[in-house]
Parts: sequence; structure tokens; C-alpha cells
Amino acid sequence: MQTTQKTSFRIWYKLDLSAIVYPTLQRRDFSSVYRLSVLLTQDIQPDVLQHAVNLSLKRFPTYKVSMRKGLFWRYLEPNDRPGPFVCPDVRNFCMPMSFHSKDGYLIRFYYYGRRISLEAHHSLGDGTGAMYLLQTVTAVYLRLLGHPVTNQYFVMDIDEQPDPEELEDAYMRYANAQVCPQRPAGKTYRIRGSREPFHTLNVIDGILSVQEVAAAAHKYGASITEYLNAVLLFSLLQKQEEEFHRRLRPVRIAMPVNLRRFFPSKTLRNFITMVYPSVDPRLGTYTFEEVVLHVHRYMRYYINEKFLRGDITTNASTKRNPLIRIVPLFIKDFFVRIFYARVQDRNSSAGLTNMGALQVPDDMKPWLERFDIYMGIPYSRRTNCAIISYEDVLTVNFASCIREADVERRFFRRLVEDGIKVTIESNRS
Amino acid sequence: MSYCVNCGVKLDASLTRCPLCGTPVLNPNEFRLSAPSSPFPEEKGQAEVVKSRDLAILLLVVLLSTSAVCGLLNLLVFSRSAWSFYVIGACLLIGVLAFPAVIHTHFSIYCCLLCDGMAAAFYQYMISFNTSGREWFFRLALPLTAFVTVLAILFAFLVRKISSAFLMVALYCFLELAALCVGIELLIRHFLCLPLRLTWSAILLAICTVIVVALITLLALTPLRNEVRKRLHF
Repeated sequence: MQTTQKTSFRIWYKLDLSAIVYPTLQRRDFSSVYRLSVLLTQDIQPDVLQHAVNLSLKRFPTYKVSMRKGLFWRYLEPNDRPGPFVCPDVRNFCMPMSFHSKDGYLIRFYYYGRRISLEAHHSLGDGTGAMYLLQTVTAVYLRLLGHPVTNQYFVMDIDEQPDPEELEDAYMRYANAQVCPQRPAGKTYRIRGSREPFHTLNVIDGILSVQEVAAAAHKYGASITEYLNAVLLFSLLQKQEEEFHRRLRPVRIAMPVNLRRFFPSKTLRNFITMVYPSVDPRLGTYTFEEVVLHVHRYMRYYINEKFLRGDITTNASTKRNPLIRIVPLFIKDFFVRIFYARVQDRNSSAGLTNMGALQVPDDMKPWLERFDIYMGIPYSRRTNCAIISYEDVLTVNFASCIREADVERRFFRRLVEDGIKVTIESNRS
Repeated sequence: MSYCVNCGVKLDASLTRCPLCGTPVLNPNEFRLSAPSSPFPEEKGQAEVVKSRDLAILLLVVLLSTSAVCGLLNLLVFSRSAWSFYVIGACLLIGVLAFPAVIHTHFSIYCCLLCDGMAAAFYQYMISFNTSGREWFFRLALPLTAFVTVLAILFAFLVRKISSAFLMVALYCFLELAALCVGIELLIRHFLCLPLRLTWSAILLAICTVIVVALITLLALTPLRNEVRKRLHF
């Protein structure tokens, strides 16, 4: 956070380590936008929701901002324009967000039936940060309707001042390993689907029971995340085997890890890093049990404080490099875009994120039915999978901009084979 | 609610076919007069179209001021030749090229290409004021510019309306390349008052013809075309 003396103290925010990449990738048909939704037990009243948004946003200064360009880096500037306004939901959500739109906001609120949805640009924060905002807005909305809700877990007190730690770039605090480990690199299997027309997002939601998924995962000696990761990897492996390929490639999943679990931080901004569980079919044919075991061991080996600190340090070393810092923004943009399209995007076959089991205040539970999370439009033609659970409801949300649903089909069929009951919702017609 | 007979998943009541495999939902026990409401809205959203108004104003001001200043300098100070026509013509050309990108983003591609061709021709006409004669312009530059413009518009039409498949685009490219080479040589010969016959362009024409015939064969034979697509996909 920085202050500058103009006519009054004006606050602005540097983009955090993850956030600097997302605006660079901005295209006419792509923004790094994700969505969090909560399904309530009663229909939404838009006027009350708008009031709740207005009251809550003061508590989240890093979400009431617009994107600005400097000579060397972009930054976030507080946005005092009216809004953001709640709107009726749309079928093709996670639409691109322009930095030059009329109101300049990088968040959107939607309502549809009993559902409240929040869409946020990844430059502002990760899913955990946005979940604080969504749950706080929901709690304020319920309070305005006369239902008392305690400030607990993801629900913040809207009358208190933001803690400076909530606004910090937590990466730089923990990027202090003495070596910078190499990232996994190399081309991976990429899904070749038929691209849908511009402004189309195909969504398939699977609604499962947490207990059933946990039982299935336990059968293989894995956690829920490891099991679902293995199911996705196996689906991709099967798809590659059935297609025509001159040579097989490794199948790799990009999975964000919430660093708050390992490094104490209250930040509401991005604080994630990627791990890449993968299976290489060139080594031989994998059974599903072997894939689960492989993912299980990979997760146990790599997801710990030491390896993650090394990973953060590797990422931070680029931003700290004085030569890179003095390069003008447009040149940085040019090279980052090429690097992302040629290397980073090809580094994984699909994305999978698991927000885990959500905790909500007890007095809020009677009004909530379930949560959903969508990773938004993928950068290239592939499918992204996002998982979230609340009470005994686990939702698996696939979002893609391709016509085929091969990966989703294999994924859910595998779950059914393992004895899990799956209910499907979709916006595909 | 029904289950998909292929996938074994329970389908939301609003779904008429399984989104995973496309199997239609036919449940004789559930007779519906009207479809249940979908968990997703029907209305599609439109992303806000942002016009780069600031950039457009800046561009317009820079181009107009550059043209005016150079015109005045040419008129009042350095008046030995009409050198400012180079600058004014270039400003006009840049303005026309930038028009669809920053001002009128929904401008038709065909109109854009036509305007670009006309601006290029006008720039050449302004250049002709500083040359000894204008015969080169009327007999070579103008027909050549018109020819290239027509080819560009034709290419845009073919890609947008006929097919944008990889092999078809390759076919258009080679056909137009052949036409362009032949056109350039004939126009140059016409300008130089030489007999109208093909020399160097005949070689290119022959190469393009071979490639075009190969491409047409590929397009006509479906198994062969699929094989090439598989092996050349990128």
C-alpha cells in the first residue's frame, strides 16, 4: 500500500506478485475472471442486496478499485464512482472485464432466483479473499432482512477498519528461501476442442455428497482433493489415449494451493501458488489406482512449507530483478504474453482448484443451501474444474469454452463407477 | 428427475438431454406440460464495448496538428517544393488505418479495406505532385493499388463467407498469390510499353498451380483430407 500527497492523502495499491500477470493476459475475449456463488433458501431481493453491497464494500478497499497503468507496472486506485451495481444474472457469465469500462470496477454482483454471485478479476485477489467479500455481503443482506448473523469465519465486521495485513502483498514477506527451485516445464497434452462462439461459457455442475466422496477417496487411501485430482488426470489420460496422436505427452494439472494454510497471513489479495501433479503415459499404462497413489505421494511430498517457500521465492525473484523492474510496462507485457502463451499455458492440460470445506457462522446456516465456484473462461481451449464443499454438499464445477464435454463425461462416470451419486446441472442447451 | 442411461448421473429437471453425452431425456413417468425453470438464466450478457475515446482524440489532434504545422511551414518558410504533401498524406493514411481500431469499431471489414486502398492511392497521388510527371501514378500505382485492394477484399470475403478452414485458406492464399504476381508483371509491362506476356510470373504461376491442384485434390478426397489434418494439426 502506498500513499501520495496530492490534495489529500490518496491511497493506491501495488499489484501483488500473482496479480501482475493477469492484466497482461487481457484480450478482447479473455479476462482472468472467476465466480463465487451462494445459493440461499429464499429468493433474492435486488434492492436489499444492492444496499448490502454498498455497506460491505467499504470494508474491502482492495475490491473497490480500478486498474491503472504506470510506466513500469500497473497499480490499483480506489474507485469512487457509483457502483458496482447488482444485475440480473446472465447465462454466459465470467464475461471479459475491460479496464476502461465506464465505471472501472473489477467486480460484478449478480442475482438469479435464490442465488447471489460475485465475479472478480484475479488481479484483486484469490478465491479466499473473494469468499470473505461474498460471505460478508450475504451476511449483511441477511441482517437487512432481519436475520441476525454473527461475524465469524469468512464474515467480517463491516464497521471496523481494514487491518493493514489484509491489504498486503504477503508473497514478499515469505519469499526468503536461499535458492530458487526450477518450475516444472515442458509441453503437456492439450485438449483439442471445437471453440464456441465469442461470449459463450459452457458450464457443467456436479453436485455430490461429501461423505460419499470421502468414502470413495478413503477406499484408495487418499484425501478428497487427491482423489478428485486423480479422477481428472485419469479422464485426461483416457481422452489422450483414444485420440490420434503421433506421440503421447504427459498429462499435468495446474492446481492452486492456498498459501494461508502454511504461512500465517490475513491478506485478502492473491496468496496462492501452483503445483502440478502429473502422469506421464510414455512410461507405461497407468491404472486408476496407480494414478491415485502417484497423486497422493506427489501432494505429500511437494505441498509443505519448505517447497512452497522455494516456489514463492522463484516467482518473486523475477519481480525483484532490478533489470526487469526498469523495463517499460509495454515491453514487459509483450514478453510476458509470449511466455504465457508459449510456455506457461502449455505447461498444464487442465486446471483444478479446491476451495475445501467452507465454514460459515451457525446462525447463517439455515439460510444457505450450497456454494459454487467457477474458474471462468480458460485462456486456451480446455476445461477448468473448481471444487467447493459446504456441509455435506460438494460441488464440482466445470467451465469451458469448447463444445465437447469428453473430460467432464469421463470424470463424472468415474465417480458414478466408484459409487458416488452425482446430480448434474448445466447451462448447455 | 431422470437419470442418464449412459452416464448414470441424475439430471436436473430442466435438462432435456444429458450435457455429458447428449442422450435425450425420455421419462414416460414424468409428463411435463411446461419445462421446469433452469438453474441458469436464459438471457445472455454482452461485455461492455469500450471505445478508446481518449486515444482517438489524441490521435486526431496529433495528426491534424502535424498536418497543419507542416502545411504552414511549407507555405510560409520552406516553400521551394510541396514537401508537406508527404506528411499530410501520411497523416491521412494513418488516420484512415486507425479509424476502425479506435473510433468506429463495428465498421465493416470490406469498407475498411476499401478505405485503406483509397487512402493509399490518395497518398501516392499527393506524392505525384513532387515528381516530374503523373503518368506513373495513373498507369502503374493506381491500377496496382486498386488490384491489391480488390484481392484483399476478395480474400476477406472468402475467409468470412465461404470457409476459414486451414486448407481452404491455403488455397485462397496460393490463388491470390498467383493472381497478384501475374497482375504485377502485366501492369509493369503495360507501363513500360512492353508486349503483354508472362516471364518471371509464369514460374510462380506454375508453382502456385501445382500447389492449388494438390490442395483441391486434398479437399475433394475426404479420407486424405482428414489424414493431412491429423498430421498437420497445430
